[in-house]
Amino acid sequence: MGFVSTILGFCGFGVGISTGLTVGYYLFIYFQPTDVKDPVIRPLIQHDSKSLQGLLPEIPSWVKNPDYDRIDWLNKFLEIMWPYLDKAICKTAKNIATPIISEQIPKYKIDSVEFESLTLGSLPPTFQGMKVYITDEKELIMEPSLKWAGNPNVKIAAKAFGLKATVQVVDLQVFAQPRITLKPLVPSFPCFAKIFVSLMEKPHIDFGLKLAGADLMSIPGLYRFVQELIKDQVANMYLWPKTLEVEILDPTKALKKPVGILHVKVIRAQKLKKKDLLGASDPYVKLKLTETKAPSKKTMVKHKNLNPEWNEEFSMVVKDPETQALELLVYDWEQVGKHEKMGMNVVPLKELPHDEPKTMMLDLLKNMDPNDSQNDKMRGQIEVELTYKPFKEENMPKDVENSDEVQKAPEGTPPGGGVLVVTVHEAQDLEGKHHTNPYVRILFRGEDKKTKQIKKNRDPRWEEEFTFVLDEPPVKDKMHLEVLSTSSRIGLLHPKETLGYVDINLADVVSNRRINEKFHLIDSKNGRLQIELQWQTS
Amino acid sequence: MGLISGMVMGMVFGIALMAGWKYMMGHRSRKRVAKAVDIKLLSSLSKEDMKKICGENCPEWISFPVFEQVKWLNKQLSKLWPFVADAAEAVIKESVEPLLEEYRPPGITSLKFSKLSLGTVAPKIEGIRVQSLKEGQITMDIDLRWGGDPSIILAVEAALVASIPIQLKDLKVFTVVRAIFQLSDEIPCISAVVVALLAEPKPRIDYTLKAVGGSLTALPGVSDMIDDTVNTIVTDMLQWPHRIVVPIGGIPVDTSDLELKPVGKLAITITRANDLKNMELIGKSDPYVVLHIRPLFKVKTKVVENNLNPVWNQTFELIAEDKETQSVIFEVFDQDIGQDKRLGIAKLPLSELVAETSKEIELRLLPSLDMLKIKDKKDRGTLTIQVLYHEFNKEEQMAALEEEKRILEERKKLKEAGVIGSTMDALDGAASLVGSGVGMVGAGIGAGAGLVGSGLGAGVGIVGSGFGAVGSGLSKAGKFMGRTITGQSSASRKSGSATPVNTQENGGAKPL
Repeated sequence: MGFVSTILGFCGFGVGISTGLTVGYYLFIYFQPTDVKDPVIRPLIQHDSKSLQGLLPEIPSWVKNPDYDRIDWLNKFLEIMWPYLDKAICKTAKNIATPIISEQIPKYKIDSVEFESLTLGSLPPTFQGMKVYITDEKELIMEPSLKWAGNPNVKIAAKAFGLKATVQVVDLQVFAQPRITLKPLVPSFPCFAKIFVSLMEKPHIDFGLKLAGADLMSIPGLYRFVQELIKDQVANMYLWPKTLEVEILDPTKALKKPVGILHVKVIRAQKLKKKDLLGASDPYVKLKLTETKAPSKKTMVKHKNLNPEWNEEFSMVVKDPETQALELLVYDWEQVGKHEKMGMNVVPLKELPHDEPKTMMLDLLKNMDPNDSQNDKMRGQIEVELTYKPFKEENMPKDVENSDEVQKAPEGTPPGGGVLVVTVHEAQDLEGKHHTNPYVRILFRGEDKKTKQIKKNRDPRWEEEFTFVLDEPPVKDKMHLEVLSTSSRIGLLHPKETLGYVDINLADVVSNRRINEKFHLIDSKNGRLQIELQWQTS
Repeated sequence: MGLISGMVMGMVFGIALMAGWKYMMGHRSRKRVAKAVDIKLLSSLSKEDMKKICGENCPEWISFPVFEQVKWLNKQLSKLWPFVADAAEAVIKESVEPLLEEYRPPGITSLKFSKLSLGTVAPKIEGIRVQSLKEGQITMDIDLRWGGDPSIILAVEAALVASIPIQLKDLKVFTVVRAIFQLSDEIPCISAVVVALLAEPKPRIDYTLKAVGGSLTALPGVSDMIDDTVNTIVTDMLQWPHRIVVPIGGIPVDTSDLELKPVGKLAITITRANDLKNMELIGKSDPYVVLHIRPLFKVKTKVVENNLNPVWNQTFELIAEDKETQSVIFEVFDQDIGQDKRLGIAKLPLSELVAETSKEIELRLLPSLDMLKIKDKKDRGTLTIQVLYHEFNKEEQMAALEEEKRILEERKKLKEAGVIGSTMDALDGAASLVGSGVGMVGAGIGAGAGLVGSGLGAGVGIVGSGFGAVGSGLSKAGKFMGRTITGQSSASRKSGSATPVNTQENGGAKPL
């Protein structure tokens, strides 16, 4: 008897609990309002010490840490813009989602899926500080501390088999600390080629998920589980060192890397016009590629010759064969005074065949203006042989992502040895006693190389590269770099002056393959010199 | 028995479960909302809030200036600057050189940049302030300071004179740039940007002009023309309430609301002046008054000879574009042989006026509007005026706009006929250049490039105006014997030179 009673008791409990749950659901949850209200925000002044206590953990990083900068102006900007942004984003999201939904639902025998409400709420994301890092590399690093505790209301209603189910996401909160890196920096707008985004810590995500009005996330344990799941998913994708990469510019184009070499052979000129009063002209040819900063190349001067033969060869680095052009200028050399232009012509590189020599006979013109009547006059002709050799694809650096890393040494490097590449970037706070026209002199194994001189500048930028081919790794060697200044006036009063020097131990370079550092100059007050050293082996 | 007690227990349990769930829901929801409120509160803190939170332990590194500091942006900018400079140089060269060619006046065979370098010093953003002054608009003020070392050399080749490279260097730009973002419901949520320089504090643009390997005397009047051009560009095109409107995002929007439009008409009667300063050795001053809102539209009274308490009783109508920020400038001059001397200046902000009510105002005359420069505190007399401000309705506004266009058009014709001097040439030329400069701002260089654009505009000014003015400028050539001339287009630097006024009837070599 007791046994039956117990069975009945269990059955009763089963029936009772389902009725109870249903009654409870209708009693407590079903009639709950599902719309999201705007929270009441009291100004901080009105808070008492107790509610302030609750505020303390959320104090922004810029208050706590001096290395964070306040960006309340951006918060304000976002706050004003938020209602518009909200509408725009929701509209776009709806427009994107509707066709996808209508395509997908027939498969699952669902009648309709639609947004009952879609809004991001009235609270905008806020930035609780911004931190930037300065490195010696060509990159910008920013770390905003982003907190979005919003009150969005996304309610999706699905209808199937005459039943209606709603899923509602409310009170989404995302706290994250992304690191945004812009690199490499390039000299064309917007001045960086790629954006890398990566999360420094696992983000904090919290939200309410209401299924038919009941918030699943408030079931004890479930929320924690779901949150961990999402965190791990996000972390898998974007937690540092994993990064999201967005390409803005094609870095090869933006960096203007060399794509080929132009060989120019200046053969001869004929029927040049006489320019000097006494005797014939003294012609020479100046060659220049447009859009480069490289110095122009010159042939020898052929004295007193109106039909000179040079037969000299030059090679020039081409960066963009589509827009660059070769300028040929014939000048009359003078012992004293300005060299007079005898004529010129321009050959656009896109007219040249690849890898084949092309001999051209060019008329010399006064200028490149086709309407100028002065061009009708005969000024003679010049004969040149041009060969444009584009680099083969396999020679090109394929993946630009590794452009920062050490490249392979070029062919012809002795085995066991390699190439030491020294890049002199810039210097800061140089100070000369009498003049500051700095240039850098590199002394290494008896070799002596110099950069350009930059006049009257205490923070010069050279960006010059030098290479040394070595038979063995320079483990025991040192490199001596000194910054020198010479007077811009011809005067013996204050001749050459040393602005500071630095000795770099190359063992570090060999073991690290590449170092890029600002070295403090010895014998200088505050001077610093940024040097990049690479050890490339085959 | 067991069944019923089971059912009751089950029901109680079920309802309790649901009640518990509901409680949890409410609890979590309250927690989330509380957090959201906290974060919202902390997103923009004021000094009082800070005190409230931290009490005595407020960190020392925190301050609350009107313009919020942006150290991080400056750090990034200085790092990025070499690249920005390179990119901007290329863009400027590409976009401005054809324009130079277009505005090349006859007599000059070639006009090119032989050097264009923006220097190594990055502009500094002293602070940023964001306000919402009007529904649907964000007003962002950027305090920009650039004491740069750019070197811009413009190679001018004239047919008669040998090639004269003109160098612009040591450019200093201190100004507050106001950018107004017009918001819209479509991504990217900004339909147009309005850019202007704030009038208060007054923009300061200093630069040094130098003729490389020669002297600027070869082109008489050039530096004056450049200064004039820069000054006019700044005060009459860039300085608030004048503005440049850049539509953004490819959405066709009606930006006419953002453009500057006449909003009202000012009827000013210059009644009399009292106790004017005597500037003449023999007899008394011969005073007349020049008044303007925009320097482009100046009007002047008749001259009352030999009188320190003149009565004019002349009425003028001036158009106002922005009642909040504009003001009427009254300048009293003494007519003299040679240069007219200024007896005093006074300013009447339009914001003090009430629409449709006539008011008599007595203004104290000052030696200069720049309070820092006033040395003598001597009384310079007073000026009595009668003002009536009339606010335009829609039709009147359109009519005024048409009228303004007509006047400018007329002046252009006069200029073509050679009646008015050539400074307007320069103005037109420079105007379009500034436009291109601003286009670059849109492209994201920031105001620096825009200012460079205007700097270049000044360069064109040289050419547009300099040569036309050779004749009239010869008399002034003596002034420019030095090789280096420092131009400054800030406050009223014109005080010493010729009267910068001409009425329409006697149009001469100077702009109105």
